[in-house]
Amino acid sequence: MTEQTLEKNKKKIKISNLHEIGLLIALILVLLLFSFTTENFFTQRNFTSILRSASYVGLIAFPMTFVLITREIDISVGPSVAWSGLFFVILIKWYDFSYFSSAAIVILWGILLGYFIGIARTKLFIPTFITTLALWSALRGYSLFVTEGRPIAISNKEFRYLFGGDILGLPTVTWIMLGAFLVFWFASKYTVTGTNFYAVGGNPKAARNIGINVDRVKILALIGTSLFAAIVGILFVARVSSGNANLADGMEFDVIAAVVVGGTALGGAVGTMTGTLLGCVFIAMISNGLIHWGIDPDLNKVVKGIIIFLAVVINSNVTFKSNSGGPKED
Amino acid sequence: MEILELNNISKSFGAIKALDNVTLSLRSGEVLGLMGDNGAGKSTLIKIIAGNFKQSSGTINFENQKVEFSKPMEARDKGIEVVYQDLALCDNLTAASNIFLTREIKRNFGLIKIINFSEMFKRAKDIFKDLKSETLPDEEVKMMSGGQRQAVAIGRTKLSKAKVVLLDEPTAAISVRQVAEVLELIKQLKNQGIAVVIISHRMPDVFAVSDRIAVLRRGQLVANKLAKESSPEEVTALITGAIEKA
Repeated sequence: MTEQTLEKNKKKIKISNLHEIGLLIALILVLLLFSFTTENFFTQRNFTSILRSASYVGLIAFPMTFVLITREIDISVGPSVAWSGLFFVILIKWYDFSYFSSAAIVILWGILLGYFIGIARTKLFIPTFITTLALWSALRGYSLFVTEGRPIAISNKEFRYLFGGDILGLPTVTWIMLGAFLVFWFASKYTVTGTNFYAVGGNPKAARNIGINVDRVKILALIGTSLFAAIVGILFVARVSSGNANLADGMEFDVIAAVVVGGTALGGAVGTMTGTLLGCVFIAMISNGLIHWGIDPDLNKVVKGIIIFLAVVINSNVTFKSNSGGPKED
Repeated sequence: MEILELNNISKSFGAIKALDNVTLSLRSGEVLGLMGDNGAGKSTLIKIIAGNFKQSSGTINFENQKVEFSKPMEARDKGIEVVYQDLALCDNLTAASNIFLTREIKRNFGLIKIINFSEMFKRAKDIFKDLKSETLPDEEVKMMSGGQRQAVAIGRTKLSKAKVVLLDEPTAAISVRQVAEVLELIKQLKNQGIAVVIISHRMPDVFAVSDRIAVLRRGQLVANKLAKESSPEEVTALITGAIEKA
């Protein structure tokens, strides 16, 4: 085969598709592996459980995909989820707010938090890693301080059944996640806003030069993760009927792992929502399967660490030369 | 018709005089080769025309009207486009998406606006056909050769119906075969009545497409003459200062 025809064949299959197909195959292999080696893995009940945990992660992983595409990162989402849930419960229990207005306040809080991270990045030039690392510590610490480490319980059956339970055989959170997936998938593929995320990640200098408001695009992406962390915080409360400072421990890791396993480059510019969705299911399935294997939960974390490392290795080798973005800006 | 006239343009950065009383004009359908050593003031001049810098003194007329650009957007709105050396393309987007970036064609469904890719691909295809380039609209830019990338960058200027296109080192860092492709693109722009300014260090490329050659040395215009009345040897001498003025 000549060099030219090789080039042409390469073009036919997009690298992003290649990654998704590979991930889908890996997903099926893992499914088969756990199904044949354990008794209770291949059951409807267990699949619901996998879907449920994949859904909480997914709700934050979709906006996180945009954040990584624009060359930023948000590692504060775990503590942010815990604090948002706690804040929600505190408003109800201590200040007698209604469920609806509490939810509205917490969602507004999420938007403002993301806006703050975005302003710190674009106007004060503080890397998002640093700002969100500070928040990671501060939000968890404050949550523990306020509650003295004890959960605050709420009891409202309707709220629990509606948002923490199932609808038509699937967890409510899964329905919400699927809705969010459609919105994010659509936005990433067919809207100007979505295109701008990719343009900013691909070549920030060019994007700015052409007339895209790069700062606004980055702020918008960062509002996404904080907003969805707030929403997930509320949904967690519905599930466990309490606010808890220790909730969502290490969730930022699961979210970023799912996004990266899904094929999004940490260096920006590259990533798809379909990949992220598959990544969420993949991570949730592995965590679940390892429990069925009877592996210690602490070792579970080791396995996840290895998976994220391998995913980055594969990701950067598949996409290194062609995808690692354009010229750096700063 | 003179489309762009620069009258006595000077620009100082503190004590450094980057441009000193430069007077230069450009006609529609004319290709001007702007030459000079590093630091001669070529980029400063381009940036003043494009609205990145404001001149310290002097005036600019565009289509016989005095203009003052405070930012690149204003120059672009008038029809002055710059294609920069680093090309300002997003590698992870398709050729069509790059051409239409910030000017996407949309279909409205109530409040929701959807990008109309098929229309964008069609229009981009026409633009490449006009430029006689074999660039594919739906291909990602990262897969493209240097010549095709230039076609995408120049394609952007076609979309905005630019009247003046400024090209900063369009043939640097690409292979010989692709240079021919880029020079062909410049000829196509000229044939369509667009005024082109090409900055380049590569003498043969400049002489291959330029109608007129202007030489800057230490901020001063030391030559402005028809290409056929000059020669690479003369221009080299002008750039280095071996010949004072021509």
